[in-house]
Amino acid sequence: MSNQKKRNFQIEAFKHRVVVDPKYAEKTWSVLEHAIHEIYNHNASGLSFEELYRNAYNMVLHKFGEKLYSGLVTTMTAHLKEISKSIEAAQGGLFLEELNRKWNDHNKALQMIRDILMYMDRTYIPNAHKTPVHELGLNLWRDNVIHSSKIQSRLLSMLLELVHKERTGEVIDRGLMRNIIKMLMDLGSSVYQEDFEKPFLEVSAEFYMGESQKFIECCDCGDYLKKAEIRLNEEIERVTHYLDVKSEVKITNVVEKEMIASHMMRLVHMENSGLVNMLLDDKYEDLGRMYNLFRRVPNGLSTIRDVMTSHLREIGKQLVTDAEKLKDPVEFVQRLLDEKDKYDNIISQAFCNDKTFQNALNSSFEYFINLNNRSPEFISLFVDDKLRKGLKGVSEEEVEIILDKVMMLFRYLQEKDVFEKYYKQHLAKRLLSGKTVSDDAERSLIVKLKTECGYQFTSKLEGMFTDMKTSQDTMQGFYSSHLELTDGPTLVVQVLTTGSWPTQPSITCNLPAEMSALCEKFRSYYLGTHTGRRLSWQTNMGTADIKATFGKGQKHELNVSTYQMCVLMLFNNADRLSYKEIEQATGIPASDLKRCLQSMACVKGKNVLRKEPMSKDIGEEDALLVNDKFTSKFYKVKIGTVVAQKETEPEKLETRQRVEEDRKPQIEAAIVRIMKSRRVLDHNNIIAEVTKQLQSRFLANPTEIKKRIESLIERDFLERDNNDRKLYRYLA
Amino acid sequence: MKKEDTVKLISAEGMEFVIDKEAAMVSQTIRNMLTSPGGFAEAEHGEVTFPEISAVILEKICQYFYWSLQYSRGKETDELFSFIIRMVFLSGRSTYVVRVLALCCIA
Repeated sequence: MSNQKKRNFQIEAFKHRVVVDPKYAEKTWSVLEHAIHEIYNHNASGLSFEELYRNAYNMVLHKFGEKLYSGLVTTMTAHLKEISKSIEAAQGGLFLEELNRKWNDHNKALQMIRDILMYMDRTYIPNAHKTPVHELGLNLWRDNVIHSSKIQSRLLSMLLELVHKERTGEVIDRGLMRNIIKMLMDLGSSVYQEDFEKPFLEVSAEFYMGESQKFIECCDCGDYLKKAEIRLNEEIERVTHYLDVKSEVKITNVVEKEMIASHMMRLVHMENSGLVNMLLDDKYEDLGRMYNLFRRVPNGLSTIRDVMTSHLREIGKQLVTDAEKLKDPVEFVQRLLDEKDKYDNIISQAFCNDKTFQNALNSSFEYFINLNNRSPEFISLFVDDKLRKGLKGVSEEEVEIILDKVMMLFRYLQEKDVFEKYYKQHLAKRLLSGKTVSDDAERSLIVKLKTECGYQFTSKLEGMFTDMKTSQDTMQGFYSSHLELTDGPTLVVQVLTTGSWPTQPSITCNLPAEMSALCEKFRSYYLGTHTGRRLSWQTNMGTADIKATFGKGQKHELNVSTYQMCVLMLFNNADRLSYKEIEQATGIPASDLKRCLQSMACVKGKNVLRKEPMSKDIGEEDALLVNDKFTSKFYKVKIGTVVAQKETEPEKLETRQRVEEDRKPQIEAAIVRIMKSRRVLDHNNIIAEVTKQLQSRFLANPTEIKKRIESLIERDFLERDNNDRKLYRYLA
Repeated sequence: MKKEDTVKLISAEGMEFVIDKEAAMVSQTIRNMLTSPGGFAEAEHGEVTFPEISAVILEKICQYFYWSLQYSRGKETDELFSFIIRMVFLSGRSTYVVRVLALCCIA
């Protein structure tokens, strides 16, 4: 070594020994062949790994890889054929166990063989493009054992039989199943699919088809769904225990298709237990189950949704057109609210707050609420009732909740301007008679309306509140500057701004002398501080408190309307008056006078006057006297308050007419706005745009829009195009 | 070193090297020998005989094992290269070196 120290170091190419001995390969191979036999016969403990490894290494090294490989194939195949015979010989239930055992043996042997032949695996095999040892072993097993004619079909039928047994309730050896299935999976996914999964799915489909047919004949909807759910969960559990994870989707599809999809319509429409019955009876559990099962199949949820929608519309339509129910508006609205609550609960509890269902609910409500054109009026009456007395003693949060629910119904209305008109009327009556339970509740509702519809909607309503406040201040100012009046009758004036309040024809009557003097004083005081304004007394809307002493000395305080006060004050100077005299003295219009006399003379418990003759109606020739025998339990007696009521037919027509009139300028304004920005537009587009703009207030009628366009053309706001009759042009 | 943690590597001349199992397992082949199912003789007795590897080479191999454990995460290819060169120089026979490396399944 030391003489080589000065030499340049070189790495030589590797030169292998050339083998002379032809029998070398044979000898080496027979050693290995013997070893393989021993391994398969569970006799490997005596062998030396190193020796075998070295032999295999040498064979490959000396270019005998081909011989080694083909020898391996032959030997292994022979062994597998023997194994195959022993498995075929197994009887009945032992077949699978024997197969399992032999499979485990083969795997162990294969691993040992691969270990000793590792060098070949890494060098010869990739170079010669042969199958690696491990894979080779699996392929040979597959070809010689699993696909052997006697074993293949027997294996499949045994596996399917076990699955069927488990489905009918028997307990099977799951561990064994798992091992066999895993064996199939190890042999390749195509083996698993062809030799097991496909037939499994087919058999399962047949099984569930039969089962579902059997169930649907004898079960009701809820029970059937329970059973379907159980079977579905069973299959999922089966997959986790002993099948390939990828089979889960496939088998659940089979169950869903056979048990749910094919019977969907029948289930939903089942008599006495179908979807509609579940909805009516609030069966949350059943509904939830139906939702979860149906969402797995195509069109499942849309089927439920459609049936629910048509049912809702049916009920809604009945509710809204039932004449009985329409007699009491408050009842009517309450029922609508109850129905909404019910379905909100169903959707949140059973349908997982699904938005599409919520939308279906909203569209159904919108549909049937607008079927009845008195809905806006009724909703306003409902609110009126609540704000007058319904909210007494209710906590603040509950008030908010109720008002929010009302707002929800409000949103469904298409004719919001009708609602506005009625609401204004009812609010005016409430404010003027001082009958609102909670000022805060009133204001809260105004705020909600403002959020919903914008400032314009509520500006007048807010004006009404402002007027009430201002009037209070004005009265304080009046009395503090006229201290001499504190002994006389007390006057309380509400000064109303004409634009904000619902328009009333202004009717005056002849007030008693004491009052008219006081009123004049107030008028001059007010006009003194506010020049350029005009005041007119609305005597049909006022109230009065009068102290009265009757024939037997009984004293009462009577709360009456202004008209009634005028009539009663006349009796201070006369005992008996005829109808005509009263009419002349007070100047009250006939219909109002008759109503007011009726409420004082003909109503039990409030008959402070006596009428001759004692008929129910007031005739022109009747005479009236003070009823000295009037008695009442209470000291304070209320007669004839002005309460908001459902309108009579003529009143209704009048209101509707006014609404239609109000709509005309709104439509025109919308048309002009649109044309100003677009300049030129055709007929259909104008209709569409106008409808869209006015949507938040009311549903515009195309005929009406057309009329407005004509009117605008006449007034030179628009012109028709000369060539195209359908095109309109804006005239600046 | 405990007996269970060690293996004995025996050279052609009969020289015995007792090393940690962990070190020996650096060689994939030795690892297979010792962990293969079926109970080969080597695994039973915990000793491996190499009738064709001399003691000098076997010693270098054992050193390699320990070096590999130490630098198992390293990218110290220069070290590896110089180590191989040292081995070649020592043995004077590149043929043996390559065969041994094949045994260790490095090459």
